[in-house]
Amino acid sequence: MNTPMNVPINMPINAPTTGRPVRLQTKRFLLRSMTPNDPLERWISWLKDPEVVGTLNTPVRAYAADQVRSYIARGDNNKRYLIGIFDLATQVQIGFFRLEVEPFHRRVNFNVVVGEKSWWGKGVVNETREALLDEFFNNRGIEKVAGMPFARNFPAIFNYKAQGWHHEGTLRGHCISTSGGPRLDQYLFGLTKDDWRGIKKRNRTSRDREHNS
Amino acid sequence: MSDGQRAKKLLAEAANCDSVMIPDDVRIGKFERWDSLAHLRLVLAIEQKIGRQLDPDEAIRIESLADVVALLAPAA
Repeated sequence: MNTPMNVPINMPINAPTTGRPVRLQTKRFLLRSMTPNDPLERWISWLKDPEVVGTLNTPVRAYAADQVRSYIARGDNNKRYLIGIFDLATQVQIGFFRLEVEPFHRRVNFNVVVGEKSWWGKGVVNETREALLDEFFNNRGIEKVAGMPFARNFPAIFNYKAQGWHHEGTLRGHCISTSGGPRLDQYLFGLTKDDWRGIKKRNRTSRDREHNS
Repeated sequence: MSDGQRAKKLLAEAANCDSVMIPDDVRIGKFERWDSLAHLRLVLAIEQKIGRQLDPDEAIRIESLADVVALLAPAA
């Protein structure tokens, strides 16, 4: 995950967005593009929490609101999306996606953080990512998605596998550890538009079978 | 206790449920109790049983009871 380090604090906070913002709803969550005017207290508290940022190889740090605001302003809804995950019932933000688009390759790299620990283990990632996969494959011209969890981020690995992503490779010693340990391994997960269509079809068939039995 | 029973007990503890609730053909993503946190607990429990961290090639293979059995077998 990129963090709001080394971003100029004086960057204009109302930087224009160049793409179409995302706004999607799932059974339990609202997904929408973040704006620099969104409340940031929760986001700042997640960046200070070793349990939240530890598996992301992000250093624990106390960020100023302006730094986080500048980071969010870099989301242009074109090549970079910063999409908040909001609990529909309370309207409280519980996490966010950062999507990096490579337009020439029609590919998106997925990153997600669920910062509110009370939501861990409750299927947030796959429920919300399903909506984003539908949106980007069906409406935004994307043909391939990828994700690169660290090898010790077992909950993330579970989520990729449970959603049907393919393990496409293991990158050994791919990153320096920000906590000073040995170099870190990462996995490469991927999914094509055709894969996703097949998964959705299988899930529908399985649901129909359960419904009819 | 057989290897299969030991594996099932480990998964049951990780998933906070009774072993009898776990189907023999359980797979990742097909059993509600086996969620992302249960998976974390399961991998850490396997590592504790075998006394070492899993290699990335081993950890990525955990998708079923049979995979857990295979990892525990050398420690039996």
